[in-house]
Amino acid sequence: MAQVPLAIVSHKRQVCSLYKRALRNLEAWYDRRNDYRYRAVQLRARFDENRSKDLGEGIRLLASGQKELFETKHYQPRNFANSAGGCAFEREVIPPDWLLDYWHPLEKAQYPEYFAKREQRKKEYVTWWEKQYGKPDPKDLGHH
Amino acid sequence: MSFTQIARSCSRLAATLAPKRIASAALVQSQQARMMHRIAVPAVANQWSQKFGVRSYSAKSTIEDIKFRVLKVVSAYDKECRRNRWQTQSVRRYSAKPPLSLKLINERVLLVLKLYDKIDPCKLNVESHFINDLGLDSLDHVEVIMAMEDEFGFEIPDSDAEKLLKPADIIKYVADKEDVYE
Repeated sequence: MAQVPLAIVSHKRQVCSLYKRALRNLEAWYDRRNDYRYRAVQLRARFDENRSKDLGEGIRLLASGQKELFETKHYQPRNFANSAGGCAFEREVIPPDWLLDYWHPLEKAQYPEYFAKREQRKKEYVTWWEKQYGKPDPKDLGHH
Repeated sequence: MSFTQIARSCSRLAATLAPKRIASAALVQSQQARMMHRIAVPAVANQWSQKFGVRSYSAKSTIEDIKFRVLKVVSAYDKECRRNRWQTQSVRRYSAKPPLSLKLINERVLLVLKLYDKIDPCKLNVESHFINDLGLDSLDHVEVIMAMEDEFGFEIPDSDAEKLLKPADIIKYVADKEDVYE
């Protein structure tokens, strides 16, 4: 969910993101480390050149940079193994915590101490919630 | 004593007493010298090899010597193999990694930061702020985060990266990601 934009992203963060993606793109094109470093230094110089431009010019430059990145994108970029597009993406699925509430009572009875503590924790969480946000409206309770 | 034997001993006597005597003595001497050479060289070589540790194949070594030498080489090889087992053994690890600890993460993070040329290693501390204390700008911070991604082998999304402003934050983030608590 980290990639879904949930808030307005500032210009600075967009530039940083563009810089990072551009570097990764260079890394995909130039697999020799010395060649990559040469291109990376050149890229950094291009970014530093436009450091003191005003925001309007900056937005225009950002758009042109994003266009350039799109045009020079590598056809088979390298990804980390566990990130989207990597070879081990979602290989190990971690089951969510609420799954334990759907165990059969006989299964739960095998771990009595843990489930007693779990019920206690749920009650404490409800009291914390009501203290923080107030009692829920009875109209909102229950399924829709 | 037969006639031929007498004749042979007479000729031997004649050889020792005849005017050829000088020549024959010279022959004997040279023969002795040759023999001396054949006897003396291995002895000298043996001394030499003992002194300078050079192997000499003409030196005659006993079975014990050979056994000792072979066993020494074999035991050294075994020791070396045992030391380098993690390199030489080819075992499929099924995407498992060597176990991390907080200390190890700390060391690795600080090493990566020390090797970054824009950070002064004297000023570097676990609690030093990248931008305020170490004088990096936001693009340098992006490079630091990319180095951390490469070091630990997972992607750090931008929304998390902007909160990692100290080495301590990075250590905590990596430890949380890798489920390391001690």
